[in-house]
Amino acid sequence: MRRSDLGEFEEIVLLAVAALAPGAYSVSIAEELENETGQTVSTGAVHAALQRLEQKGYLSSYLGEATQERGGRRKRLFTVTAYGGKILHEARTVRNSLWNRITPAELSKMGLDFSNS
Amino acid sequence: MQPLPPRWLDKLATRICAPHLREELLGDLHERYALRHRRTGARKANFFFLREVSALLRPSIMRRQPSRYGSPSAFSRDMLRNYFKIGSRVLVKNSGYSLIHLTGLSIGLWACMMVATVVIDSLSYDRQWSRKDDIYRIVTVNKMGEGLFERNSSSVMGLAPELQKNYTAVESWANISSGEKYFKIRPEDSDGINTSLLTADTSISKILDIKLLGGSLKRSTQKHWSLLVTQSYAARLFPGQNPIGKIIYDIPIFSSEPTPYEITGLIDDLPYNSHLRADAIRLEVTKPEPLVATGIMSFGRNYILLKRGTDVGKFTKKVNAWYADFTKNKGREQFEFQPFKDIYLHSDFAEGQSVKASIRTIYIFAGVALLVLFIACVNFVNLSTAKAFARVKEAGVRKVLSGSRTQLVMQLLTETLLLFGISVGIAVFAYFFTLRPVENFLGHRLVLTFTSNILMAGGALLMFFFTALLTGLYPAWIISGFKPANTLRGIFTASLGQTGLRKTLVVAQFSISIIVLLATIVVWQQFDLMKNKDLGYDKNNLIGIEQIAWNGKGEAFKNELQRIPGVVRSSLSMWMPTEGAGYMQREVPDPAHAGRRLRIWYVAGDVDLPTTLGLKLVKGRMFSNRFADAFNADSLREKDFVKFEKMQMNQNSLMTASAAKMLRIKQLDVHAKDTQSVPVGVVGDFHNESLYEPLKPTLILAQKAPEYAGMLIRIEPGTEMQVGAGVRKLWKQFFPEKLLRIHNIEEKLEKQYEAESKLHQLFLFFSGLTMFLSALGIFGLVVQAAEQRAKEVGIRKVLGASVAGIVGLISKDFVKLVVIAIVVASPLAWYALQKWLESYPYRTTIHWWVFAVTGAAALAVTIGTVSFQAIRAATADPVRSLRNE
Repeated sequence: MRRSDLGEFEEIVLLAVAALAPGAYSVSIAEELENETGQTVSTGAVHAALQRLEQKGYLSSYLGEATQERGGRRKRLFTVTAYGGKILHEARTVRNSLWNRITPAELSKMGLDFSNS
Repeated sequence: MQPLPPRWLDKLATRICAPHLREELLGDLHERYALRHRRTGARKANFFFLREVSALLRPSIMRRQPSRYGSPSAFSRDMLRNYFKIGSRVLVKNSGYSLIHLTGLSIGLWACMMVATVVIDSLSYDRQWSRKDDIYRIVTVNKMGEGLFERNSSSVMGLAPELQKNYTAVESWANISSGEKYFKIRPEDSDGINTSLLTADTSISKILDIKLLGGSLKRSTQKHWSLLVTQSYAARLFPGQNPIGKIIYDIPIFSSEPTPYEITGLIDDLPYNSHLRADAIRLEVTKPEPLVATGIMSFGRNYILLKRGTDVGKFTKKVNAWYADFTKNKGREQFEFQPFKDIYLHSDFAEGQSVKASIRTIYIFAGVALLVLFIACVNFVNLSTAKAFARVKEAGVRKVLSGSRTQLVMQLLTETLLLFGISVGIAVFAYFFTLRPVENFLGHRLVLTFTSNILMAGGALLMFFFTALLTGLYPAWIISGFKPANTLRGIFTASLGQTGLRKTLVVAQFSISIIVLLATIVVWQQFDLMKNKDLGYDKNNLIGIEQIAWNGKGEAFKNELQRIPGVVRSSLSMWMPTEGAGYMQREVPDPAHAGRRLRIWYVAGDVDLPTTLGLKLVKGRMFSNRFADAFNADSLREKDFVKFEKMQMNQNSLMTASAAKMLRIKQLDVHAKDTQSVPVGVVGDFHNESLYEPLKPTLILAQKAPEYAGMLIRIEPGTEMQVGAGVRKLWKQFFPEKLLRIHNIEEKLEKQYEAESKLHQLFLFFSGLTMFLSALGIFGLVVQAAEQRAKEVGIRKVLGASVAGIVGLISKDFVKLVVIAIVVASPLAWYALQKWLESYPYRTTIHWWVFAVTGAAALAVTIGTVSFQAIRAATADPVRSLRNE
């Protein structure tokens, strides 16, 4: 697979959709990411990432219910497709295998020695 | 209560966001706003919302979804065909307007092409030589006083070889003079072929590209002159034969025997667009003349070839510093090196250079032609925007039926291009057939034309294409820009009816016409002044025979001539009107300003010269045979040079009034040291040169039967033909082998002002053209206005308005514009013409009536054009205009 298909921000958004399922839409994702990272995340950025991911086929979407806060507008809810799940999994495998290859000595040098804690 | 973000930001967000994304995205924004509001309060939420909105600025959000019912591309083949079809139908339907457009544009384009040809041709002179950038003509600059310089195209013969010796930068040099001769194939022939001839030594081939086709560049070993002939000239002389080795003869002017010339070489034709255009080159031996600081020097036209990349400015400085040192003349005589390419256009000072043009005339010419094109384009824009009124409804319907703006613009541009295309066709056609008359008018051939040079033709077409686009874009933009809902309901913005731009353009147009008209009148006045100014001598009924060697028979010829009926008086003269200011000039100290020098000119002839010319005596006496006024210079010089010198110093002279005043001559019959003569009389000033030159202080000397002289013949009015025939008959008896060159002096004088005469004709033509085009434009506008106001006129008539009132109503607007144009144009023209006149020592004054006449003419043309249509509109039956719709 081509790893470059999935940018870092896209990967995080994709993960967030998976984590927030079934109630994943722009606002919830943006709020969640703000909570997790502590940085402001604009709705527009999240929406653009979601659009891209849907185009690539990692996500599917449907229109949900309208609420009063939204001025009577409906929200678009996202779910991860099987293909998206596979991509997420592959991304994780690559990371894991790399993590596993780091020697304990190197880990301790980086100040990431977990064995003693 | 639901918290809401600021309205303007909300609106902005709606604007930015693509319609198909608005529901979800704006909902998201509002929901987050509500969240923030609850969490952090209104201020921070608002700030955050601003950030959110700015974060919407990304292509994926802003890009609009294409409509599912989109119109075809504005550039598809079907659409292009459609534009063309509709466009041609529109043009045919509005044939009246199309005709106005076509006439205006064709004339504008034709004038522009014609003038562009003349300008390009003038600029092409001497650009084809391979070393054109390194060849210079040596120009002598004489300092006559503080800030007073006189430039001369000839220089001391010894200078160029000396320069080559002293400076490594000088590669080669050549002395080239040009002239005319008549050649004949057999010595006994009486008529010859007029030949323009260059005289140079063989070094000319080092400077110019001379391609030898046969023979050699070497001089003949015989005692003949050697001649290099060009191919086309050889074909005229000896059709189908090899000319090399053949001998031809000139028709003598000074000698009594025809001189034989041997054709030693055949060369490729010299370029016609060169100031050195010639049929043949006469090879001469160089007689190296040493450069001396003082004494007798001969002058010639010298060209030098510098090494590639030489800095001429520095070189000039070096040469002048060296020369000032060499002659110890304190820089009184300096040199300039005139680039070869500039010689054709920048040689106003060069006397005797027959192939030249003035850059000023070229500028005027080009400027006026551009203005004509501008007026034509203005007509187009004005009429198109005025006509827009009729087209906006069509545009509205097209838009409702999902036509895009691009399509509309394309449609209108196609119409413009069609009109321009047809006009270009007509213009090219006219151009092709008027080339010959224009060449005749100019007096020389045009080498580069749009119909002979593909590169130029391509460039012209491209230029026309862009002009068409530029001209068509504005009306197209205006017409396509209206909202269909408004146009279909009949609501028009005020801008459509009477735009400020249109008024400005009309004013500009008429200002130009008025300026050109004023220029025409003033140029004519100046020409008239120069033609008819009293020259101080009687130029009417005067015939001149050009200078020849009389072989000692001058006096006898003169005596015989007196017997021809009609001849009043005649004189052998060493000076002829139009041929320089005199045969000699002398610099004398100026008695009025110490340190300054005056230049005095000398004119000589036999004792009858002053009376033959008709000079007016102011003081003293005229020359007479009763006194020893004339002395026999030719024979005395040979016999006893010392005595000749002494005689010459004490010769009797006549002075012009201005010379006498400048030299402060108080007493006659007393030897005046500075002029080396004894003034016996003072005559009225006369213009010995053209009126481009100020009056020259002149002395007249008398000689007995000068050998090298021309002849002036004063005749009875109306006997010119009779005397001419008599002179020719007499000539055959006296000088059967010589060429008789006989002229009417008045005609020759007039020829000097050919430039003004041509300028005048040109302005006459262009002023007619610009006036016509402006009138055409205004006519179109009036037709349009009358159409547009047909209903208004109808209602006014029903309510009892008079015809005159309505004509006034329609005409008023246009007349007002023309009055503004007169006010704007008059001072501009006055300034420009004053500047133009400054270069003439004798200039006409610009009277107020010139402006009055021009203004009246412009107004008359306007009122004539406008009222023609206005009266038609005013007399139309109001029922017809009111009943339609």
